[in-house]
Amino acid sequence: MDRQVRTSGLACAVAVVAAIGALAKPSDAMAQWVDYPTANVPRNADGTPNLKAPAPRAADGKPDLSGLWFSAEVLPECSEKDCIPQMPLPADQINIGRTLKEGLPYTPWAAKLVAERAANGAKDDPHAFCLPPNFPRAYSLPQYIKIAQMPKLTIVLHEFNASYRQIFTDGRPLPKDPLPAWNGYSVGHWEGDTLVVESSGFRDDLWLDLSGSPMTSAARVVERIKRPNFGSLEIEVTVNDPKAYTKPWTVTLHQNIVLDTELIEETCLENERDTALFKKEGGR
Amino acid sequence: MLLLPLSLALALPAGAHHSGAAYDRDKTVTVTGTVNSVEWTSPHAWIKVDAKNEAGVAVTWEFELPSPVTLTRRGWARSTLVPGDKITVTGAPAREHANIAIATGVIDKTGRRLFGGAADSKE
Repeated sequence: MDRQVRTSGLACAVAVVAAIGALAKPSDAMAQWVDYPTANVPRNADGTPNLKAPAPRAADGKPDLSGLWFSAEVLPECSEKDCIPQMPLPADQINIGRTLKEGLPYTPWAAKLVAERAANGAKDDPHAFCLPPNFPRAYSLPQYIKIAQMPKLTIVLHEFNASYRQIFTDGRPLPKDPLPAWNGYSVGHWEGDTLVVESSGFRDDLWLDLSGSPMTSAARVVERIKRPNFGSLEIEVTVNDPKAYTKPWTVTLHQNIVLDTELIEETCLENERDTALFKKEGGR
Repeated sequence: MLLLPLSLALALPAGAHHSGAAYDRDKTVTVTGTVNSVEWTSPHAWIKVDAKNEAGVAVTWEFELPSPVTLTRRGWARSTLVPGDKITVTGAPAREHANIAIATGVIDKTGRRLFGGAADSKE
């Protein structure tokens, strides 16, 4: 998808990735830390970032996945009369299986759950209650992630709730009986230029998207992460969760580099009022 | 205050962290009044606007805004709106609560549109 989102040719055209700095229009903001220039960006002759340049390499020769990233495929956010300007909303946020011809292969239990969640406006979405941004859902939330890759550990920071995820690449196995966690427990190894991340040990009550597609403690997740060029990440996600899905399924999520800015803290519990708005009482 | 039908209701999340079901996107409300307070908070900023209803009775509207993160990236500052500013806010009202809405457009004290709708795309 192109790096510009057009909304039926009508309203907001929002640059998402390398041009994100353009969103902060006022020049008086340019000196702020949120506009701090990214180092070592390959440039075209005209000085613009060369997003198709080869991916950088780490000292150990592996592709370096480090950087600030955001979903490459986002939804139109405005119509002619109606605009609620948020961060561009990743398309995968609504339904992580949107690219699957047959849709996600829900078990009857999961299908019933998803139908209930659709009927009640997803009012029980853990994300709305400020609970952690669990991967792989976290790739499609409307905040940035930052990957910091080291030889034996890769850390993924998430803007929402200032969260972290660890991917151990020091050769350790997955634990036999991990504590249930929002991100599970992740170990990774390299296959050529692909970082293969295996995870288990998830909580039993996770949501993968706003539709409420569930993921349970039975899940094993494999992410195959590539950086085909400077400007993009490809993340092939395979979820094998026999409680929620009749068979393993795989989707490929795309992320784009975000330049010349930084993570900004978003601590959700600071002033969370929206869940109360679903109720007749207690809106304030 | 005006309540007008919207020609198009989007089945999109209304906010960065929640679905849009709490707000009635088929309606729109426009409030002109004075900024009472600004809550520069996550996951959403909120502004209170003192206005008068059709009967001339004082009423305080509360409008949900994007997160400070989003506002910052769109060029807003904490001082973009301050108490005492005369503004006009358009939004979709909450289904279950009076005088609460999610903002879709703001016109500041200088008449500048801060976000919302097709008009802004011409800027």
